[in-house]
Amino acid sequence: MIEIFGLNKIYENRVEALKKITARISKKRTAIIGRNGAGKTTLIRILSTQLMPTSGYALINGLNILKDEDEIRKKVSCIPQEARPVGLLTPYEHILIYLTARGYSFKNASEEARKALKQVNLWENRNTPADELSGGMKRKLFVAMALASNAELVFLDEPTTGLDPLSRLEVWTAIKGLSSELVLTTHYMEEAQSLAEELIFMESGTIIKQGTAEEVLSEFGGKVRIESRKPEEGWKRVGGLYINYVDADSAQEYIKLGYDVKQITLEDLFFKYGVEIES
Amino acid sequence: MVLKLNLRFIFAMGLYYGLYTITRGFSYVIASMSLPLTMLFLIGIISRGYLLKYAVIGGFISLISTNALSSAGDASFLRLELKFQDLMVTTRITRIDYMLGLMLSYLFFSLPGIIIYAIIGVVLNLFTAFRALALFLVMLSLLFSETSLAFMIAGMMKHIRNVWGIVSILSIILSVIPPIFYPYTYLPRYVLYVLSISPATPGSVIAQGVFGMQPLNYTMLIVLIAETVIYFVLGMNFIKWRED
Repeated sequence: MIEIFGLNKIYENRVEALKKITARISKKRTAIIGRNGAGKTTLIRILSTQLMPTSGYALINGLNILKDEDEIRKKVSCIPQEARPVGLLTPYEHILIYLTARGYSFKNASEEARKALKQVNLWENRNTPADELSGGMKRKLFVAMALASNAELVFLDEPTTGLDPLSRLEVWTAIKGLSSELVLTTHYMEEAQSLAEELIFMESGTIIKQGTAEEVLSEFGGKVRIESRKPEEGWKRVGGLYINYVDADSAQEYIKLGYDVKQITLEDLFFKYGVEIES
Repeated sequence: MVLKLNLRFIFAMGLYYGLYTITRGFSYVIASMSLPLTMLFLIGIISRGYLLKYAVIGGFISLISTNALSSAGDASFLRLELKFQDLMVTTRITRIDYMLGLMLSYLFFSLPGIIIYAIIGVVLNLFTAFRALALFLVMLSLLFSETSLAFMIAGMMKHIRNVWGIVSILSIILSVIPPIFYPYTYLPRYVLYVLSISPATPGSVIAQGVFGMQPLNYTMLIVLIAETVIYFVLGMNFIKWRED
């Protein structure tokens, strides 16, 4: 369980990335969703003891991130955003280096590497230099490192950003093989729904919503999304579209008027909280 | 305080990131040997063999210095581009383990060059057991001090492109201008002291003394030891580990 108490982070450039967040993450698999710059990565980096907060603290299974970093690092594995493998090293060597850093003997590290690489279907490529792996394989390698670590809690920061749909599915399958508690960040809504029981929606350094997909979308209950390509007074502009939310009962009227009507998805959280109203 | 090192990790880094990658990226090894081998050729030709000993002993020092300083680029690349350092911060290793692991990998990476120079040294009958041991210790000190300097630079960098430029300038200042390939007695005394800010200077002075090419200068032994300790402590403190 992760308990967060008033976490605040102000960077050197005065950007306040986290604004006194307080939360409790108790589900086995949690996805932190939000746009770029919402504060997801800062939160993960602080929780995984990579970054010090400006104020506030958090407890990871009862251990304080400010005082117990050595103990936390024994229990936690974190795969950073945009982490890339070292080109000349093979997947097997990556895992061996990672596991020896986590205190494994060479014999145990080798055994865990073998198991993890087989689990993510990288065993055939275990001796291939990482430069020669596809994008999906490279990401799967990092999931294999997390798998092999047998950590109690795994943080994955945007594990599939930049991957094609097929590679993303492969990585999802690998992530589903993790038996640890999982906290991942993503801005792909389907990824959050597929991999997590609980969602935390962040925007501008604060937590806007937390709960299951149904719970975080409860404010849209009984509504549908109306889309127009023409400017509409008071509607939100999303790229070239203008959107609004209306009762589902009135959907037919909007269809007759030529508007597109869409079911509510997690993306509507982005539209509602992350998009300025067109004036 | 007891310093507890993760020797398994340090060895794994040295082995996989240093030794194994030699076979997969041999062009880097050749690049790191190109300067000392070029100097060996030029000095041999221009001095008609008279300063060849300097070129050989200087070659050892230049090889370590070049590899150690280029580790600034490497350490920055691992931190800024690959996020490898972030990955390591959340494990059980300390910043000292990380630095020592990379240092060992650079030492292993320098091995092909060291072997070539050792063969040349043997052919020229330069070595005794004492001289070889002394040279090894000088090279080890240089590895520690100059790699630490490199970590200091890497820790201060926010953009990878800046590192390449700074490393190019530093390699000239720290590993070409110092009396690596020529007798240190050619330098006015005050210039020698100014150049002593580069560990390659006291390292070369000691090596030239031990190999009987120039008088032994014991002050430089103290300078080298002091620089090794100071730069190592600075490097340890400048390396960005758990960031503020």
